[in-house]
Amino acid sequence: MFLHNLKYELKSSIRAKDLIFWLMIFPVVLGTFFKIAFDGIYEKTTKFNTIPVAVVEVQKNPVFNSVAETLEEGDTPFLKAEYTDRKKALELLENEKVEGIIYLDEKLSLSVAEEGIEETMLKAFVEEYTAEEKIITDAVKNDPMKAQAVIDAFSQEVDVCKEIPLTQGNPDNLIQYFYNLIAMVGIYGTITGLHITINKQANLSALGARNNCSPTPKSVGLCASLIGSFMVQAVCMIICVTYLAFVLRIDFGDRLPPVYLAAIIGGMMGVSLGFMVGSIGRMSVDAKVGISMAVSMTLCFLSGLMVGDMKAVVASKIPWFNNINPVAVMSDSFYCLNIYSDYRRFLTKIATLLIMTAVFSVLGFIFSRRKKYASL
Amino acid sequence: MQVFNAYMKVLKKKLPVAMIYVIVFLTIAFPMSRAGANSDKFEATKLDICIFDEDNTPESKALCDLIVKDNDIVELENDKDVITDALYYESADYVLIINKGYAEKLAEGDTEEIFGSYHLHDSYSIVYVEQFLNEYTSAVKAYLAGGLDLDEAVKSAGEAVSVEAEVNYESFDEDNSSADFPKAFSFYFQYMPYILLSVMISALCPILLTMGRKDIRYRTNCSSVRPSSYTMQILAGSALFVIALWLIFAAAGAVLYGGMYQGKGWYAVLNSFIFSLVAASIAVLVASFSPSDRIVSLITQVVGLGMSFLCGIFVPMSMLGEGVLAAGRFLPAYWYIKANNMLAGSEPYDGSKLMQYMLIEAAFAVVLAILSLVVNRVKYTGGLKAKGAAKAAA
Repeated sequence: MFLHNLKYELKSSIRAKDLIFWLMIFPVVLGTFFKIAFDGIYEKTTKFNTIPVAVVEVQKNPVFNSVAETLEEGDTPFLKAEYTDRKKALELLENEKVEGIIYLDEKLSLSVAEEGIEETMLKAFVEEYTAEEKIITDAVKNDPMKAQAVIDAFSQEVDVCKEIPLTQGNPDNLIQYFYNLIAMVGIYGTITGLHITINKQANLSALGARNNCSPTPKSVGLCASLIGSFMVQAVCMIICVTYLAFVLRIDFGDRLPPVYLAAIIGGMMGVSLGFMVGSIGRMSVDAKVGISMAVSMTLCFLSGLMVGDMKAVVASKIPWFNNINPVAVMSDSFYCLNIYSDYRRFLTKIATLLIMTAVFSVLGFIFSRRKKYASL
Repeated sequence: MQVFNAYMKVLKKKLPVAMIYVIVFLTIAFPMSRAGANSDKFEATKLDICIFDEDNTPESKALCDLIVKDNDIVELENDKDVITDALYYESADYVLIINKGYAEKLAEGDTEEIFGSYHLHDSYSIVYVEQFLNEYTSAVKAYLAGGLDLDEAVKSAGEAVSVEAEVNYESFDEDNSSADFPKAFSFYFQYMPYILLSVMISALCPILLTMGRKDIRYRTNCSSVRPSSYTMQILAGSALFVIALWLIFAAAGAVLYGGMYQGKGWYAVLNSFIFSLVAASIAVLVASFSPSDRIVSLITQVVGLGMSFLCGIFVPMSMLGEGVLAAGRFLPAYWYIKANNMLAGSEPYDGSKLMQYMLIEAAFAVVLAILSLVVNRVKYTGGLKAKGAAKAAA
């Protein structure tokens, strides 16, 4: 009987159009839009790029020229200076071809058109140059004997800062939108889970009524449906991850199989959540769908599907919530796989998801017990 | 008026869906578009820096004080996971370690790796702070070389690097008209197309579909109402909905704006009105294909999100790639955003170009309206012709 029920559960899932739309087409479409819109933002904003600057020589300053030249060397040099006249420089600034204009006069001065990290860095550069110039001229004035030593202090190439690398993974934090997208598909498993109760509760559908008067024990029927739904959801998760990883070429770090594992377990958690919500009380189908969608979308929002830094905001205000928000736990599991080389944190997240799945499923079974219908 | 009345009854039923979108949009848009004060003075960006001072000497404290002056300090637990999370989620921009023995090594003039920093990626913050550290330590060394002792050298170097440079703010806004349409406020109008599209497709479409349902349509057709009158009443109903919706947004915008719109603000309002028409004609076109409810919700998502991502509504145009922008050109929201960006001062203001953008938008509305007329015509007459042909064949 179990296998019979399982077979029909699978067959009917394939024909549920809701499921195909929300769990297969929608994530693919949204993922594509994310990819289109976010491609290159990380390279443009977070990652350091050479700062273009216009230089207007009101009077000649060969020292500045040579300093600027050294700053223009290397793979990603600090500056790219364009020597020009005042009018052209303003034009470049207006059209956002340069971030600022440095005027070489008695003193260096800087003109900018907006505020930002590039402008701040240019300001710092001008300040540092001015300080250096002053220290050297003072030294030359006060004690010409030591002047050379002072100049040497500035010209030594020293690596003052030792960089301690934190991860081998992909540091682009915009990929958390994709993590949250997978987590969204997982939590949309509530729709799959709801179908279990819709098809099993006599007041919700004709099929439910039919199932209720069949001689199969309720526990067997529910088990078959639950396992069937887990399987369907797993397929949806696999499609989603495969599309993101192989079609859109999202970099999930170098460990893809655990990503699939986490996605599938997350999907099971979603299904069991839907199963539980569906089993509570005797509300109408619309009410149950409404409740589960509202809950899922709120959880997605709090995990950062709509606004990327939401999770960090939640972490600073109510840190425990990220550990029980199933969407956040799921997206964190992908993050841990990407960033951390060991599996410690990843396994904690997976364990959390498994516990959630077990709790929701058990509650779902408890809530579905002893529902009898005198008349419909 | 029968048709119009029926239209209103259906509209009433669909109103809650539309209102959910409107309310969610307004609650999100209000805090986001808070009018920020436009100052003429340049404000340097402050980084969030976390410092672990392992040396704990007067020299290292002097450096900490210097960093605090221009940046914000964040306290983090000295745990690699916590630090990684903070850097990844950007709650800290830079994590600096002042290594033990900093003061001693500095006194000897040996500055090789006297600091450490946790490194996630080559960000602007890394380059910025490291350049500062380099400069500061060089300045200390220079003073030491000049004959000062460490105390004085640290003090003098601190003074030298904290001299503020003069920064001029270049404004390309000659008549100061940007005050009429501040950048922060422009976000309100920037996000509006998404919500207009979503509301129009998810509310207007079902109404038109209900009105066009076979049984209702046949009942109307066999009544004494003239087809032209029917069309006019449907149009009047839709126009009422569209204008009312637009008025809500325009009025809410005025509240946010802090009074009546002025100067460029009015152009933005006009721009949003034209886009309301575009969105409405998209909804009408979608409805003319008589899709099922499920397809309508799919189209709402795809059109709304698609235009938002491709045309610079969610992600500013300056961040989008060439290819995306080239594709965006074929969508009406692209021209809406172009106009809005120009009004907000992201590109030089040019009245005739602005008109051009808005006309292109309006042209989209016209073309879409004509398309839906064509679709309707083919659907009805085409269907009849096919039936006639089938009869003749029989």
